[in-house]
Amino acid sequence: MKPLIHAEFRRLLATRMWLATLFVAALLGGGLIGLLAIVGPENFQPPMPGLHTEAGVRAVLGFLGFTAFIPAAIGTLAVTSEYRYRTVNFTFLFAPNRWRVLAAKLITYGLAGMVYGLVLSGTSALALFGAAAARGVNLGLPAGTIVELLARLAVAMVAYTVLGVGIGALIRHQVAALCVVIGYLYGGELLLLTIPGVRSLYPWLPGGATAALTDFTAVADALAQQLSSDPVRLVSPLAGALILFGYTVLASTVALLKPMRRDVV
Amino acid sequence: MSGIEVRNLTKRYGPVTAVDDLSFTVRPGAITAFLGPNGAGKTTTMRMMIDHVAPTSGSVTIGGRRYRDILRPTTVVGAVFDAASFHPFHSARDHLGIYAAMGGYPSGRVDELLELLGLAEAAGRRTGGFSTGMRQRLNLATALLGDPRVLLLDEPSNGLDPEGMAWLRSFLRDLADAGRTILISSHVLSEVQQVADDVVVIREGRLLAAGSLRDLSSTSQAVLVRTPDATELGQILAPAAYLVEANGPQELRVRGLDPSRIADLAAARGLRIHGLTAEHPSLEQLFLDLTGERTRP
Repeated sequence: MKPLIHAEFRRLLATRMWLATLFVAALLGGGLIGLLAIVGPENFQPPMPGLHTEAGVRAVLGFLGFTAFIPAAIGTLAVTSEYRYRTVNFTFLFAPNRWRVLAAKLITYGLAGMVYGLVLSGTSALALFGAAAARGVNLGLPAGTIVELLARLAVAMVAYTVLGVGIGALIRHQVAALCVVIGYLYGGELLLLTIPGVRSLYPWLPGGATAALTDFTAVADALAQQLSSDPVRLVSPLAGALILFGYTVLASTVALLKPMRRDVV
Repeated sequence: MSGIEVRNLTKRYGPVTAVDDLSFTVRPGAITAFLGPNGAGKTTTMRMMIDHVAPTSGSVTIGGRRYRDILRPTTVVGAVFDAASFHPFHSARDHLGIYAAMGGYPSGRVDELLELLGLAEAAGRRTGGFSTGMRQRLNLATALLGDPRVLLLDEPSNGLDPEGMAWLRSFLRDLADAGRTILISSHVLSEVQQVADDVVVIREGRLLAAGSLRDLSSTSQAVLVRTPDATELGQILAPAAYLVEANGPQELRVRGLDPSRIADLAAARGLRIHGLTAEHPSLEQLFLDLTGERTRP
């Protein structure tokens, strides 16, 4: 297994995509959170509680959950690019026990997702504390709690990367897989929130579970308000973590089993 | 020794039978050409050899083992399929480095192969900008990382210029002379003829012929008969020969009869023969005879 993981890391680092991805993570963490914190949630449309409140801090950090499609897309590319560029010919020649290749990808991209999450959370922390200091606002949550929320989000990014690997193994076509991952995670889940009946499923979906991690209900509440419906009740942070873990296990199982019997033609 | 044994191999895709109860062996120390019309099942068969495609029934063993049961399989088998199996943004060195890591080979092996295949100067360039010849060389380099005893090449001369093809021929000959097993599928029959020792011919997934090129050629050998009595002689030879056809107003091409028998039959009827020449068939001729492609509309 060690040579396969080594090879996957070499593959990951062979192009500059990893650098670009970390740059995006820093941009989203430092840039997006910094911007939201400097503008202040009280100035959002519709207005939200300010950063001096717990809800305000959670609202700002919760937006990071909407960027989960990026690590998911990276995980998806890890598998689909093998089929797109036909490197799968050599990969399965060198490792005919295909589950080992996918296991190596899951481990490698799980670690890559962790680095992404750490950069995202680290830059977010710097931006949030920096913006609060610049504006002279006392944050509505203790620093330790904020770091914990960001750590949860970092772990969620690992889960999404692994989820992406699983979807890539399931849908080998690169464009189709990326459309599904980005389309669903970026917009699809929120659209589900607008459908009566289906919206009650939201807390059990990856997006709902991620929102539960930080108790981020701002967007769901805003949608409920616009649709004059009851707000969606999220599960507890622990349950959210377990649901995400469940999706990770499901994706890993799919990734390990799906390519086993499929012909490479 | 690592020969390839294909036993009763069958692959069905729904109602379509791509490979049908195919059995043949490929011996070490020789270059075996794997021939057949487009869609005959060559690539499917070769992919079944390395577990890329699961057979519906039957088996393939290499050195007595199924591919997936071989420990460090790329030390035994190297295979090249698509013309380009590289990430276009990876350099040749990156590409080989990834698979050297995967196979557990030292990075020095990458430099060795880049040198051997004439890619040293292009090692740092992205493969996306490679010519077809360079891609084929990089494909070969990847397949050779583990210094395998068996090499499977699916249409390796596709897109190669004459110089590249000459290089490939001598490269493969050197490998075969060193005792390696080489199976090469190709539709460029004139190219294969110059390099193949053995031939396996399939059509519609079924075996048509397998054996040494020399033996198969002799069964398909023709005799050119120069005679001013072509029409009469043709009528006399036709019942005894496999094929009699006019090759000009005063010449017949005859298969299935040796020159002395033709001379005897002509003499018995008092017909004149001005020349008898044995015609060694080209691989293309042999291929057309075996596959019956010539008789197709």
